[in-house]
Amino acid sequence: MENQLAVKHLTFSYGEETKKALDDVSFSVKKGEFVVVSGRSGCGKTTLFRLLKRELAPAGVKEGEIFFEGTPQEALSDRQAAADIGFVLQNPESQIVMDKVWHELAFGLENLGEPVSVIRRRVGEMANYFGIHQWFHKKTADLSGGQKQMLNLASVLLMRPKLLILDEPTAQMDPIAASDFIATLKKLNQEFGMTVLLCEHRLEEVLPAAHRVILMERGKIVMDTAPGQVSAGLKQMEEKKDPLVPVLLQSMPGAVRIFYQYDCPGPGPLTVREGKEFLAAHFDCRIKSLPAEEGKTFEEKEKAISLKNVWFRYEREQPDILRGASLEAAKGEIVSILGGNGSGKTTLLHVIAGLQKPHRGSVQIGGKKISAYKNGSLYRQNLSLLPQDPQTLFIKETVREDFLEAAKLVWKTPKDCQEQIRKVAELLELTPFLERHPYDLSGGEQQKAALGKILLLRPEILLLDEPTKGLDAWAKQGLIRLMKQLSDQGITLLLVSHDVEFCAEVSHRCGLFFDGTVISLDQPQVFFSENTFYTTAASRISREQFHQAVTCGQVSALCKENGFLR
Amino acid sequence: MSRKQAAVWAVTLLLSIGLLAAGVSAFRDRNYMMISMMIACLSCVPFYFSYEKKSGSTRRTVILAVMVTMAVAGRLIFGMIPNFKPVAAIVTVTGVYMGASAGFLAGSLAALLSNLFFGQGPWTPFQMAAWGLIGFFAGLPFLKEFLKKAPGYVLYGLFAAVFYSGVMNLWAALSIDSSFSWKAYGAAAVASLPTLAVYGVSNIVFLWLLSAPVGKKLDRIAKKHGIF
Amino acid sequence: MKNHTDVLIVSQNEVPSFGYLCRSVTNSSDGRRELEVRAAPSRKRSGMEIFMNEFSRRHPAVLFLYYLLVLFLTMFAVHPAALAASFGGAFLFYLAENGVKTAMKDLAYYCGVFLLLAVLNPIFSHNGETVLFFMNDRPVTMEAILYGAAMAAMIVSVIFWCKCYQTVLTTDKVLYLFGKTVPRLSLVLSMSLRFFPLLKEQAGRIGKAQKAMGMYAKDSLTDRLLFHVRLFDSLLTWMLENAVETADSMKARGYGLKGRSHFSLFRFEKRDGTLLGAMGILTLGTGAAAIGGMYRFHYYPGISAMQTGLWAVASDLLLVLLFLLPFLIDVKEKILWKISLR
Repeated sequence: MENQLAVKHLTFSYGEETKKALDDVSFSVKKGEFVVVSGRSGCGKTTLFRLLKRELAPAGVKEGEIFFEGTPQEALSDRQAAADIGFVLQNPESQIVMDKVWHELAFGLENLGEPVSVIRRRVGEMANYFGIHQWFHKKTADLSGGQKQMLNLASVLLMRPKLLILDEPTAQMDPIAASDFIATLKKLNQEFGMTVLLCEHRLEEVLPAAHRVILMERGKIVMDTAPGQVSAGLKQMEEKKDPLVPVLLQSMPGAVRIFYQYDCPGPGPLTVREGKEFLAAHFDCRIKSLPAEEGKTFEEKEKAISLKNVWFRYEREQPDILRGASLEAAKGEIVSILGGNGSGKTTLLHVIAGLQKPHRGSVQIGGKKISAYKNGSLYRQNLSLLPQDPQTLFIKETVREDFLEAAKLVWKTPKDCQEQIRKVAELLELTPFLERHPYDLSGGEQQKAALGKILLLRPEILLLDEPTKGLDAWAKQGLIRLMKQLSDQGITLLLVSHDVEFCAEVSHRCGLFFDGTVISLDQPQVFFSENTFYTTAASRISREQFHQAVTCGQVSALCKENGFLR
Repeated sequence: MSRKQAAVWAVTLLLSIGLLAAGVSAFRDRNYMMISMMIACLSCVPFYFSYEKKSGSTRRTVILAVMVTMAVAGRLIFGMIPNFKPVAAIVTVTGVYMGASAGFLAGSLAALLSNLFFGQGPWTPFQMAAWGLIGFFAGLPFLKEFLKKAPGYVLYGLFAAVFYSGVMNLWAALSIDSSFSWKAYGAAAVASLPTLAVYGVSNIVFLWLLSAPVGKKLDRIAKKHGIF
Repeated sequence: MKNHTDVLIVSQNEVPSFGYLCRSVTNSSDGRRELEVRAAPSRKRSGMEIFMNEFSRRHPAVLFLYYLLVLFLTMFAVHPAALAASFGGAFLFYLAENGVKTAMKDLAYYCGVFLLLAVLNPIFSHNGETVLFFMNDRPVTMEAILYGAAMAAMIVSVIFWCKCYQTVLTTDKVLYLFGKTVPRLSLVLSMSLRFFPLLKEQAGRIGKAQKAMGMYAKDSLTDRLLFHVRLFDSLLTWMLENAVETADSMKARGYGLKGRSHFSLFRFEKRDGTLLGAMGILTLGTGAAAIGGMYRFHYYPGISAMQTGLWAVASDLLLVLLFLLPFLIDVKEKILWKISLR
């Protein structure tokens, strides 16, 4: 089949830097293909994607060539370049230009100078297809995150692109909206033959839909293969003692992470169903559970956070967001609260952080009533909140200045401050970024910098709101290690998240937030194995064979114990 | 100045004079109010057209929209002290860093948009013209560099306060007594002295607080993305 | 998602709430206009499309013309009947749009404004022949008081028309009208409108995040001022960074190509034509009456006598009809709707 896009020996470096952001990248995308590109953040995929869209190409030194339908990129007409290559960016919010939904949809067609009658027809058709007609007259600001990104996709599709490029479109979305979005892409590809080039961290759902997967690392393509061959590819790399294997593995679907090392006739397992079949077919599974770990117990420890029957609403006429919520967290414990978007998890954190006052019930922090903390003493080396959006914490021109501002609240002498900043920066591997502007960091680095600023406040209790938002799998592992380290130092961590896999690995206890209360607070093994839907891929794969194995590590270890049958 | 631009200026000027003449002769010195409102509206036109004709990148346009939004937001955020608002300061900085016509746009659109929250009325065109011109003068090439540093912006802050107050007193005088009289204007000016003082202080304080950081931010964005 | 971000802002006073309704400051004793600080009634019904009254559904161009006409007539009017008609029309329309409660509250407020303005005129103007009394050795005349009242009525009417204007000629309609003439300007305007809710949400988030760090958390005025300056600072950085991405998304969709077209949902319908026709006839009628001297009126040196007779009544009626158009259209639709439900 004809190539939609061909990239030949593309090398790129940003203006002043000598480091190559892209290093001799070559690949092609056939018409009607669905190609997924993945890799750690900072691996060069965003640079690559932006270079593919002429209007967005960053300034720098470029070598090599990009062909669109056999024509070199430079030779495309402006109109062709704009209309034929559709591009959806990461942040759903900042891509929207217009105030009203209908106007946003029409924006691209207006730019192309289509007559009003044509715009009306196309917009109407598209709005119907995407189910946008229900919010057609709304303000764009009133849409949910998922709706916003769907709107962005629709308004790009209205220009009838031949190639659709999406740069981490689901990074800011919750899992349900994300899987809706991916399903739409899949449908576009299968039913309309749309060529799709997608960059994504979460491969669990995307990989089965894709025809090909490209893995990148340090500006190079390290693997370019069919999804079914990923396991085989990884195994080959491991045999060559390639240090990248653990990095790449982190982002893979659960089934690949557990089984990639075992031989398999045909393509290796990708989905949960295939994983289940593989486990049943190739393992004997006599050993049902791992020996109980010397787990920490927190039952006798003093309570750092204690909520009893808390009720909260924003306005008197509005319904309650918290409806008799109760929760306890002991000193040094990591507790995660899971729950859907808009369920009120963030409100729960705000109540605990004293940013909102409940109208009934009691909140105790460190055994003391929250109202007893006066004049901000609650926040003095006691309780800190890492907000969902790390950018809300940055005020200064460099990371160091931001850190210093926080450090000054705790330490008196400049020497102490600098010493503490050095320590925190080292802990978070932020030392090279200290002199940079916070907004010049990547999403993951920003998250770390925000955490650093919070840690300099020396909290005893740390509340984290959606700490994995926008992080790649590798960065999540780093965060897990850090959180465990903090917990060992006796710091209490309470997080709200919808990242099931992350919570399963990091927490001592997990709970589900539903209908204004925390229900079923339990150890992760129990919590996730009791759940049927709201649970990890590893648990879904292994629940019929193993007892309470909920992380890929646990299932993998059990598989090893049982031995591969063949 | 292009020929088309010159034509727009000329037409506006003629229209203004015509209106004044019509106002004086046909309506016998009545309705200064209406006429002055129309002149205020018309005075915006050439600036708008000159902005339309200017070539500029999309990013520049969007950043101007940000500055307009921030000016409006400034008027809302600092709602606690009456008249102590950063609008003139932000408009000035926009003019200094983005040029005269962008400055005018920022000022006049900030007036138009912020009145969506504060209430539109006959005073809107006066505010549009006043803030717009404050932004415009700040962006004039020979003033720019002077206004970036200390004595410059203090003086300009005072000038902006007097200028704004002067224009708005016109409206105040006209609403007391619809035929213009220097007496009413004088009374309005005297009555507005306290607010004038607040304007002056707020302009200087906000220029002092904001001009360097905002300028720095604009410069940074400009450098990072190659905009200006 | 929506709910939760929205309420972040509405919530508590300690966090910088965008005081949309800063109903304070109306210290007009110095004669200076502080009316501007008074807020427009909030018509936002959380996320739902704003309910539109019948008149507002007419084509923007017709609405705009009507507004030009009404403002023009009101500002040039001297005749008491014309002023009364204008005020009546504006107020009734405001009532139909905003309900009795809001309208009455605003009426009370503007009565105060009216009185103040009416009283101020005689202090500056000593024309007129009927001297009522002397103040500081200056004559205070009846004519000046009445003239002041007329001017005050004019200003209050204009203010009410403007208040309605905001709900009738919403910004998207204005943008539609001027989008072709000044495309870049209208783009700046519409993007600013788009940025506003974003800014509001982010302000709420930043406020919370900063407060939870314990920075400038005290209640003193300097702390509050500095807190707001920080908030402003942080918002600006955030806006600028995100704006660049917005610009990218615009370019990616071909913004800046030659020959841009303008799409809108507005269509000129028969009813718009009817309204336009009615406006035309009424305008011609009033024009003719004005040329015929039916609206001639003066306050100085003495108040002119009211004109009587059939023609005078007829020409006054023309004005009344013209000013009442929006109210009549709204009411007619409401009645028809009720009947159709039966």
